[in-house]
Amino acid sequence: MESKLKAAVIGAGAISKEHLSFLSTSSRAELVGVCDLSAAAAKYATEHYGAKGAYTDYKKMLAEASPDVVHVLTPPNTHKMIATDCLQAGAHVLCEKPITPSLQEFKELWEVAKACDRHLMEDQNYLYNEPILAIQKMVNDGELGEIQDVEIRVALNVRSEGGRFADENLPNPIHKMPAGVVHDIITHMVYLALPYLPSVDRVSAAWSNHGGGDLFKYDDLDAIVIGGKTHVRFRFSPYTQPECFMVFVRGDRGYAETDLFQPYLRTVVPRSGGQQLSPLVNHFANGSNLVGASFHNFYRKVMQKTPYEGLYKLMDKTYYALAHGQDLPIGFQQMERTLSLIETLLAEENQV
Amino acid sequence: MKVLITGASGFVGKYVVAAALEAGHEVRAVIRPKTDETRFSWHTHPNLEIGRFDLRQRRGLSEVVAGVDAVIHLAATKGGDFYDRFAGTVIGTENLLLAMQETEVNHLVVTSTFSLYDYQAIPRKTVLDETSPLIKNPLDRDAYAQTKLIQEEMIREFEKAHDATVTIIRPGMIYGREALWHALLGAELGENRWLKIGGKSTLPMAYVENCAEAIVKALTEEKAFGQTVNIVDDELPTQQSYIDGLLKHETESPKLTPVSWSVMQGISNLAWFVNKRLLGGQARLPGILVPAQLQARFRPLQYSNHLAKSMLNWTPRYSFKESLERSYGTQDLIFVEPEAVPATSAN
Repeated sequence: MESKLKAAVIGAGAISKEHLSFLSTSSRAELVGVCDLSAAAAKYATEHYGAKGAYTDYKKMLAEASPDVVHVLTPPNTHKMIATDCLQAGAHVLCEKPITPSLQEFKELWEVAKACDRHLMEDQNYLYNEPILAIQKMVNDGELGEIQDVEIRVALNVRSEGGRFADENLPNPIHKMPAGVVHDIITHMVYLALPYLPSVDRVSAAWSNHGGGDLFKYDDLDAIVIGGKTHVRFRFSPYTQPECFMVFVRGDRGYAETDLFQPYLRTVVPRSGGQQLSPLVNHFANGSNLVGASFHNFYRKVMQKTPYEGLYKLMDKTYYALAHGQDLPIGFQQMERTLSLIETLLAEENQV
Repeated sequence: MKVLITGASGFVGKYVVAAALEAGHEVRAVIRPKTDETRFSWHTHPNLEIGRFDLRQRRGLSEVVAGVDAVIHLAATKGGDFYDRFAGTVIGTENLLLAMQETEVNHLVVTSTFSLYDYQAIPRKTVLDETSPLIKNPLDRDAYAQTKLIQEEMIREFEKAHDATVTIIRPGMIYGREALWHALLGAELGENRWLKIGGKSTLPMAYVENCAEAIVKALTEEKAFGQTVNIVDDELPTQQSYIDGLLKHETESPKLTPVSWSVMQGISNLAWFVNKRLLGGQARLPGILVPAQLQARFRPLQYSNHLAKSMLNWTPRYSFKESLERSYGTQDLIFVEPEAVPATSAN
């Protein structure tokens, strides 16, 4: 039996539920500590997920619990400082997105990780959701042909009254990020599109604040990125309903689409029956898939399954890689390209 | 007494502010930064000052708390997911207790809830009172009960650690103008339809003005210091008589679909059995299909306000009939005459 890596969590907010659920059930990890500025939050998480210790000072936790891996789940503007301390204390760092507010800060943090001979990885969890893996496999197998067009469309009601983003009494820290509240999701949107984008040649991004007011910097994004022959559209809106996280990938042979919030996979590709019957066969095949997805999604809802399924798979692969001295699933280039494209989308010269 | 009241703009809070002013206290009403205080007719009362603060934040709270003799803590979060409620109810209380510690304010009255009782462990038709058992398995209950349980535990720890004077008030179901249709009547099905569960059970109702008066009395009634006191009114209505009372006043009443208590219990127990045996207990079911939550809302029990009357020297001022008349009337229920009672700024 392989030895377990000692894991600790800093930040016991909503996303910690997913990390702690993984850590409390993984055979590869031993949860040695949870830290939060709130002693009550640290205590609750520690008791609920069976951690060894609760802390309100992460430096004390690093010294006393000596974790091999630290999950940094605090607001993004604190990541660099906390991750640096963790790396220098000898721990690998797995960090929630966005890993840093800017590319420059990420590069600096990466240098710290290299100097400390530790790993540093951003949680790009949706890359490991089943429908995304299925689409990636279809692309790799050439089923969709050469990819021409990708669209990532997110509808999230971040403006909803009483919601955590629209609360003016205690503004969410994400509002301080360069893309404001859109920064909470833009990392996911960008890293999902990047595998299909060979380069970034032309960019046009319309950032808007349709709802107005001082709290939101932007609440809407409509952007086109062209690299080689591939067009990518990023669309974020709080106004279109229902909420969705759609991914469309279109090639010169066919296309695939999914919604990560209500997972299904629709693929329109050449089928047996030739050019004449392929449309009909596609309809029947996709109709059948949709009915299956309906039952599966009902089951998922009842069983409290969330769109974070990919996080568990990514973390499991990460812990395996750490235990076996392998490269981590998300490497420097993926993180660097993600942050770079976010900055390009925000660059003044690309805004319309 | 100079008293800080958190959650002052909430449903109960605005009545508690009025009751505290009526009782002659100086009040520092804590409302969230973006709340419009002009909605409350007491906002210009000479014995009132406004403290703008969000309790989820720690920095700056000591300045808001400093200088008061006591705190009435009502603020809690009733919406959102578990983590939203945790932030509003548990972390908010944690921050308040830290600020009280820093400013050496050690007199606290806090509202808890009947939701903390372990209803399944209380025999049917017996009296639920302050000695009844509390929740043993919090995860079987909703996020509100879970977070209020943690809050109450924190407060009792604070009381012990700092030798503080704490009274915990556990009201039954508080009703008033802003909240007349509630979870003890059944489950809402869409906008204008209710699944009415049961009908003959007595409801642990506490009219908001009666409750507010009891909370304010807890500040000064020494017998209640260190105690936990349940608050319900006299002559409690059954669910049916409560609904009949509402319907007398309602011009457009919701459509009610009745379901018997025994049938609902059977359905809930079956759902729970299937979840535990076939789904590993992982399924998230609506509250009425979780026996512990169903029992917490509809179990037929009796209730007592004996301790409240003796400890708080309190009698509910308004009967059920009067409470409904006030709730459906147009009178400003939180208006306090500026010169009604001179303020007592010192203990």
